Amino acid sequence: MALVELRSVVKRFGDHVVLNNVDLSVQKGEIIAIIGRSGSGKSTLLRCINGLEPVQSGEVLVDGVAVHDPKADLRKLRARVGFVFQSFNLFPHLTVERNITLAPTIVKGLERDKAAVLAREALKRVGLEEKLHAYADQLSGGQQQRVAIARSLAMSPTIMLFDEITSALDPELVGEVLRVLENMAREGMTMLLVTHEMNFARRVANRVLFMNQGTIWEQGPAAEFFQSPKTDELRNFLGSVLN
Amino acid sequence: MIRELSWVDPLYLIFALRWTVAITLLALAGGASLGLVVAACGSSGNAASRLAARAYVGLVQGIPLLAWLFLFFFGFPIFGIDVPGWLAATVAFSVYSAGFLGEIWRGALLSIPKTQWEASASMGLSYLEQLRYVIIPQAVRIATPPTVGFIVQLIKNTSLASVIGFVELTREGQMTAAATLAPLPVYLMVGALYFALCYPLTTYSRFLERRLHGAR
Repeated sequence: MALVELRSVVKRFGDHVVLNNVDLSVQKGEIIAIIGRSGSGKSTLLRCINGLEPVQSGEVLVDGVAVHDPKADLRKLRARVGFVFQSFNLFPHLTVERNITLAPTIVKGLERDKAAVLAREALKRVGLEEKLHAYADQLSGGQQQRVAIARSLAMSPTIMLFDEITSALDPELVGEVLRVLENMAREGMTMLLVTHEMNFARRVANRVLFMNQGTIWEQGPAAEFFQSPKTDELRNFLGSVLN
Repeated sequence: MIRELSWVDPLYLIFALRWTVAITLLALAGGASLGLVVAACGSSGNAASRLAARAYVGLVQGIPLLAWLFLFFFGFPIFGIDVPGWLAATVAFSVYSAGFLGEIWRGALLSIPKTQWEASASMGLSYLEQLRYVIIPQAVRIATPPTVGFIVQLIKNTSLASVIGFVELTREGQMTAAATLAPLPVYLMVGALYFALCYPLTTYSRFLERRLHGAR
């Protein structure tokens, strides 16, 4: 069974239709890049998957949890779905370590010292062991984003969602974050990434989705998708971002 | 009977200061409890409770403290409830403090970016856990300087309780001044005692403010 299954999902903000009958199926281990113009619904798609945005109709099934159901156990779901934001969203009043151990100790009931070991391991995976006791405002944007990734990893998620996580970074800091993603991809993590990094999408993603007007307009294996787009909309979009 | 100002008078004033402190602490206890409710209602998703909080704050801030004091001191006896001065003062100051503290704290809660809520929600924290571990610790940091500032105002405003016969620092000063016919030295001492109480708090509040804007 698919890890993520969206069936005829409709999401509206007032009268504005953001997701219009979206169907999507994500298998375990898949790495999916989602591209498209701003306002095309790509971020909303991610946010519907972990229940940050309720949907108006359709079904959202994630790792066996019916997210569209108002009675869904979102706590259980979110413990297994990592979400990384464009603006990092570290907790500024907590150290890096506590940022990472917070959810494991509270949501999973892990003991503090065991969680601390977990934090160290997670930080190692993003190459920031030495920042254990730092605060967010002592880190660069790239470092903050890597801590945010470590924070998600510490929950041992079955799937990770990334919402334009390099868009707020200075260009020279993008690489360090993308390298972390590539490592995770190699380790077999299931990932959905909304991204503007076309080269990264081409290199790392198994499948690329192009979103337009609230629908998945076109999709395909990365190489083919960029090589020979089928619709004019995608061709125009690629033309505008690649040149 | 007129008597000379003597060395015991400053001591009496200092003793009276503790009633100023006591009424301030009582008012803070009452005002903080009610203020928490006002802040919670004022920042909740429910439109009706937001409206109620706004109405309360508007009412409290739109009526002078002295009027609140008279209302409780002279108002309760009309219904056959006789209230001693200290109780009327406590209730009036609590109602008054709740209006201001509630508004300060509501502002602090709402100043925490929505993204902090989203980040903690997407990690699986419940609403109360979000408040406890993520939102309130940050809001407290923001709210502390204005809260301390308000406490300084409150200390000085407790002098109004003297008009309903509660013997705190100002009332004690009035009585001493009347008995000795030496208002200038007496009120200088009264002023100095208020200052001794308030100035350290003001300094502390400034220090907190600087720390808040300096880092984290």
